[in-house]
Amino acid sequence: MRSRARERRGVAAGAFAPATGRPSARRGVRARDLARLLLGAAASGLLWAAAQAGSLSVTVLQESGTPLAGAVITVHSLDGAAKASAPVRAVMDQVDQAFTPDLLVIPVGSTVSFPNSDTVRHEVYSFSPAHRFELPLYRGKPYPPEHFDRVGLVTLGCNIHDFMLAYIVVTDAAFYGRTDAAGNWSAGAVPPGRYRIEVWHPRFGGGGAPSREVAVRDSSAAVRIRLDGGLRPAPLDERLPSWDQY
Amino acid sequence: MSSRAALGIALAALALLGAGSVHATDWTVALDTRLVASDAEQSFLDDGLGALRYGQSQSGLQLGQLRFALTQPIGDIVALHLDASSWGGHDKTPIGPTEAFLELRPYPRAGLRARVRAGAFYAPISLENRAAGWESPYTLSYSAIDSWIGEELRTIGIESEIDWLGTQLGHSFDLGVVGSAFGWNETAGAELASHGFAIDDRQTVLFGQVGELGPLPGEGLNEFHQYDGRVGAYFGAQAQYLDRVFVRALHYDNHANPAAYDTAVGEGAWATRFNSAGARVEFAGGWSVLSQWLEGQTSFAPPGVGDLEWDFRARYLLLAKRLGRHVTLSARYDAFEVGPYPPSDFGMQNGHAVTLACLYELDEHWRFALEGVRVRSAESNRTILLAATTPFATESALQVSVRYAIAGH
Repeated sequence: MRSRARERRGVAAGAFAPATGRPSARRGVRARDLARLLLGAAASGLLWAAAQAGSLSVTVLQESGTPLAGAVITVHSLDGAAKASAPVRAVMDQVDQAFTPDLLVIPVGSTVSFPNSDTVRHEVYSFSPAHRFELPLYRGKPYPPEHFDRVGLVTLGCNIHDFMLAYIVVTDAAFYGRTDAAGNWSAGAVPPGRYRIEVWHPRFGGGGAPSREVAVRDSSAAVRIRLDGGLRPAPLDERLPSWDQY
Repeated sequence: MSSRAALGIALAALALLGAGSVHATDWTVALDTRLVASDAEQSFLDDGLGALRYGQSQSGLQLGQLRFALTQPIGDIVALHLDASSWGGHDKTPIGPTEAFLELRPYPRAGLRARVRAGAFYAPISLENRAAGWESPYTLSYSAIDSWIGEELRTIGIESEIDWLGTQLGHSFDLGVVGSAFGWNETAGAELASHGFAIDDRQTVLFGQVGELGPLPGEGLNEFHQYDGRVGAYFGAQAQYLDRVFVRALHYDNHANPAAYDTAVGEGAWATRFNSAGARVEFAGGWSVLSQWLEGQTSFAPPGVGDLEWDFRARYLLLAKRLGRHVTLSARYDAFEVGPYPPSDFGMQNGHAVTLACLYELDEHWRFALEGVRVRSAESNRTILLAATTPFATESALQVSVRYAIAGH
């Protein structure tokens, strides 16, 4: 998810650069030279900015000190150095009576489609204030993607299979993602500035999500966040859906 | 109009309604064959007082179950469920429905969701019989509690449930309350006085009997009848902590008039009430612990006989271990008692059972199972009605099951 978002940002930046310096062949030599000069200056400016950008890495540890995988990291710019990420098109599938993946982090304005790859019917719903919707009883992919235009946490369920549970975190953060098995997440090309890092995980109880403020300069910034409280037990793996009919 | 005709008309109407719906019907057919080695007494299902489904004379190849189930959505929040089975043996009805009901399941609103069922179905009591067809994924034979529920208990009426979906709201708990008004369950309890608790997996079909008509009371009894105009009721509650702990409790009372008696058929109402509670705890690593408890009374007062009452109580502890996605090993200990009040000899039972099972679910089609059961019981009716020299019996059975299922829509 994260890499797809970065790709899209990269494509947009690449498309922008040539458009600024498109020289006209009909103009005079001086104009062309001037354009070249300007283009060169613009390019070196971009290079300079890139050289100035830092990277940000976050490590999330449980109270016990063991890494927390799958934690949602959102990074907001506090001084406008980086803007909210561009919307993406995401997919949350339903396989073996489970949402796959179990959690999506998407920029506000993104769309998510909910295909059902099972042979049994599902009935996806959310009554979360950030996005209420219902997809009546279906198999396959009969519905258009849902548009998530409000920031917040959207909890998903299936009205046929109450044990199905998943989350969509809709964010206006500049950078976002989930920690890997070692509890790590990182972002490159972070413009210098001040940022607020927030951490969330479905296994957090009702308590507040930890956050940190950090300044990113021309080098890499690393933040370690250790949770204060315990986590709820992880969902049991290898659940057999055929066991939950009554 | 008889209850049978009313239910038949209702089902036909629903089938017609369903035919007009845009959703296809989901169906399942499953055939379960058994190889049985038993040293048990003649089964209660076969004119005896053995506590197992198969007696010694039934060792060999048996039809475990032929099951047919369908779910027909009617619109988006209503569905018709039908589950029908044949259990082989000497059933009067070769195949019949164990459950047939209409379910209304509107979308949750602000964390609350209602659910309404109307028709014939199981009350929410069992913690082990959680798989399709009200079967257990742990063992072939059900616990004493659930064997009795399968034999004599069915809600024929309406049930409402309200669930608070706390996990959807970020909490760790879900809660639910349930209540029902029902009829046609006024023979519940008769089999406890007749043969006591059993360890088996034969569910009585809606228009079926328990065994064949024979010399013992309860044999060939038509279950699921109404003898008076009274409405039965149950109410219960359940709570769930994440996917780890599930508890439920229920109070049942069929409110039957024990003096209501149909002299034409020689059967009458049994006033039965009980409380039940149970918990299922699942741990990481594939371990599960289940326990259920059920305790109640049943009374019967046919004309000229006077008031007869039996107390009954059963509980079990089941330990299961999942090995990967396919194998489940289970061990269960059951204990059960039926005691007449005032104390007499008729229908006094006391026993316990150990069940060990290994189930291998290969895929959605094939399931293989090996199970051993040993029941030790004292049943006074063995000496009273069968002229046995002792009320005691130790019975055991070993079963190998191969089940093949196909599903479609």
